[in-house]
Amino acid sequence: MSEKRIGIVEKSNNKRQRVTQDRPEFSINDHHDVLLEILRRLDGPSLCSAACVCRLWSAVARNDSIWEELCFQQVSPRPSLSLRSVVSALGGYRCLYFLCIRPVLARLPKLLWTRDQLQLSLSLYCVHYYERLYVGAWIGDAPPSSLMFLRKPVNVV
Amino acid sequence: MKRSHQETYLEQQEAPSMAEYGKKLEGSSVVGGDDSIDELLAALGYKVRSSDMADVAHKLEQLEMVLSNDVVGSSNSFLNDTVHYNPSDLSSWAQTMLSGLTYYPDLDPTRVCDLRPITDDDESCCSSNSNKRIRLGPWCDSVSSESTRSVVLIEETGIRLVQALVACAEAVQQENLSLADALVKRVGSLAASQAGAMGKVATYFAEALARRIYRIHPSSAAVDPSFEELLQMNFYDSSPYLKFAHFTANQAILEAVTMARGVHVIDLGLNQGMQWPALMQALALRPGGPPSFRLTGVGAPSNREGIQELGWKLAQLAQAVGVEFEFNAITTERLSDLEQDMFETRPASETLVVNSVFELHPVLAQPGSIEKLLATVKAVKPSIVTVVEQEANHNGVVFLDRFNEALHYYSSLFDSLEDSAVIPGQDRVLSEVYLGRQILNVVAAEGTDRVERHETLDQWRRRMGSAGFDPVNLGYDAFKQASLLLALFGGGDGYRVEENDGSLMLAWQTKPLVAASAWKLAAELRR
Repeated sequence: MSEKRIGIVEKSNNKRQRVTQDRPEFSINDHHDVLLEILRRLDGPSLCSAACVCRLWSAVARNDSIWEELCFQQVSPRPSLSLRSVVSALGGYRCLYFLCIRPVLARLPKLLWTRDQLQLSLSLYCVHYYERLYVGAWIGDAPPSSLMFLRKPVNVV
Repeated sequence: MKRSHQETYLEQQEAPSMAEYGKKLEGSSVVGGDDSIDELLAALGYKVRSSDMADVAHKLEQLEMVLSNDVVGSSNSFLNDTVHYNPSDLSSWAQTMLSGLTYYPDLDPTRVCDLRPITDDDESCCSSNSNKRIRLGPWCDSVSSESTRSVVLIEETGIRLVQALVACAEAVQQENLSLADALVKRVGSLAASQAGAMGKVATYFAEALARRIYRIHPSSAAVDPSFEELLQMNFYDSSPYLKFAHFTANQAILEAVTMARGVHVIDLGLNQGMQWPALMQALALRPGGPPSFRLTGVGAPSNREGIQELGWKLAQLAQAVGVEFEFNAITTERLSDLEQDMFETRPASETLVVNSVFELHPVLAQPGSIEKLLATVKAVKPSIVTVVEQEANHNGVVFLDRFNEALHYYSSLFDSLEDSAVIPGQDRVLSEVYLGRQILNVVAAEGTDRVERHETLDQWRRRMGSAGFDPVNLGYDAFKQASLLLALFGGGDGYRVEENDGSLMLAWQTKPLVAASAWKLAAELRR
């Protein structure tokens, strides 16, 4: 939506009249890199809400670097670059966040997020990847998941 | 009924929750939904099934007789001290009152065991209960002390179940098979009415005892390998035991190979190779770059193609994470048949690791095999040997001792599965089937068929020591990782990691269940 500016124009009959004048448009949706930079600074829940705004935002939010930033927000020093290649090979930071890091954070809210939790999450993520690879050919029911224990408990009556 | 028992009226509001809970129990027939509840009594707040009416009336008559005969003082103290669960269930309330009143006045720990064949008639059961005084394992302490009478009454059906199980095992030990047969049927019916972990464990133990009595030995060859795989995978997913084993062993391996350019791991039981992806990922992220990783997996000859496929999948994973990978498969029927020259060791360029997760105890089934296997392991000169085993003594010579130990051990295991509410019901059932197979083997099999010969950490320490290995401390990182992992599982802090002289043990409610340890060659044997 372009912003309309109310201006005052002198008309020929010496009467002043209010006229709307167009300002040059600025829409965040035209500048994906800026949008990316903004989303990069959000925390988990806000980022998830942002990803639900519209299709464009959802597509931009799929960018793995945003999730990488999120995963390592509290970890210092920054992990090495080799980690990025490993994680993207295993399915990317976004999946890592949803499958491992978010449930782990939820289960252990009081613990400081350190390298240990990160390492454990990575190991669990790797096992999950392998399990999908290994049992991918299984017919019938849904394949088992080693991350089952991280899911929210369901009330089975 | 009109005898004023104060708690009865207070606890009436418990009745609906118990009924709901009963409905929630999966596959359990505790509350039979088909029988109709008598309406007149229901209006008063008592739930009695129409089919049970005659039985309840009979029990109430007996109760009246007993109470009127008893000395006023003793019965009053009994009535005031005890708490009954769900007194609106008249049938079981009357039952517990009856058996309690006839049981405890005769309590005498020194009375000799007098087992009469127990029929299904409840009256004779009560009187024979009063005469029965069986040597129990850990439960007898609570039963023999007068002061904990009230506690015992609450767990009364559980205690009776355990007593019946132990009595049956004793009968089997004494080769009194007719008595054992009668007892096993009794256990079966008691177990069916007991809710929760205790009932399930008892059912498996009852089946195992029945097999032992009728000499039906479950043959291990009859097992479908893909079902076996499914069970193991499920057990890995739904409980922390295997994860703890793998992650702790991996941590020990990582600490031993920090400087190595090449790592060669010999896995004595490859199964589905679930341990190795995590190790490969950790190696890939090692500061200074990953070493080359060679895995030699040992498996059964029947699974040759499965193992090759597994190697292929691991190779794919290794390629994804960027670790140089090589895979060898060795198939052998028995671990003790392994020879040093089957493994191509390259001591100049590789650090050798030998890993065994729950694979050493079956070797104890053949005498002399374990020494041969440990000698082979020593001969390949590994830098570290990681051993994870169940922490229990299920290899005693006396059947009854084995039985009691196993009952205690598997009760804890089943209890831990029950408490983690995160696992969906059918996955829990699969885990129970997995453990049930072990129970069957411990109780019903003998000789070389009995492969679940678990031994405690101390026993393994002696074996490893005499074979020429020194212990390696597992370190604080392993402890931290294990604690983190367990914190992620449900169970309300039931899982604990305990440190035991450098080794780590996974315990459920202070009962250690799995022990992980690491070993290196004794000083004089290295190089």
